[in-house]
Amino acid sequence: MNRDIEVVIRTRGDTSILDIKGDLTTNTGRIVEEAYQQVSTNGAKKILLAFSRDNYINSAGLAVLITITAESREKGQTIRVTGLSDHFRKIFNMVGLTKYLTIFPSEETALDGF
Amino acid sequence: MDSKAKMELRIPSVLGYEKLAMDFAASAARMMRFSESRIEDLKTAVSEACINAIEHGNKLDASIKVGISLAVEGSGLRVEVHDEEGHMIEHVRTPNIEEKIERKDAPRGWGIFLIKNLVDEVQFESRPEGGNIVKMIIHLER
Repeated sequence: MNRDIEVVIRTRGDTSILDIKGDLTTNTGRIVEEAYQQVSTNGAKKILLAFSRDNYINSAGLAVLITITAESREKGQTIRVTGLSDHFRKIFNMVGLTKYLTIFPSEETALDGF
Repeated sequence: MDSKAKMELRIPSVLGYEKLAMDFAASAARMMRFSESRIEDLKTAVSEACINAIEHGNKLDASIKVGISLAVEGSGLRVEVHDEEGHMIEHVRTPNIEEKIERKDAPRGWGIFLIKNLVDEVQFESRPEGGNIVKMIIHLER
């Protein structure tokens, strides 16, 4: 396990949830991509990326999320996001990721109607 | 904080060390009573400037350092990040999320965009002694 990031996969109903704790960077992006590929291979259509408020996401981490978002659209999957700090909500909005990913304030609100 | 004081940090050109620079800048901003949201803006801008210097400037050569300097400027903080071997990077194309999502463009390339959008003033210059320097000013509040 890379000590800079921890990704745990769990499911609630028909939603696959990736709990992402730590740094999403050049060094760790592969781990998030692998977790996404794992749930994707298992047929997930609804995916929730559950960040924590102390995540550090840099431009390389944003690129990983863009890659995952692009692939999810091609596979007919829907991705929702929760747990982001105010700063990273602002960054997601700044780069335009919020055109493709909806951000929710909590896991419960993200799962509601998903 | 003493307005004449200049603080400096040098990090090896290894990805991950930019976090030291982030914490260095954030500590100074806290002493100056920056708001938490401005500190977060500063951390991301410093991180991206360092990543550019590490990757594109010093080409990930751990034996070459990236320099970070901080100085009080009015009610703001002047931050300079320099590499030893980079070339001018200001005129990169503004990234377009649609092109990246549609895979017409590589997903990376957000660093300069983030810096320009998060700080109040930014200049990209070549250093006479070689390399590139990013000069940023971030104010206490926005």
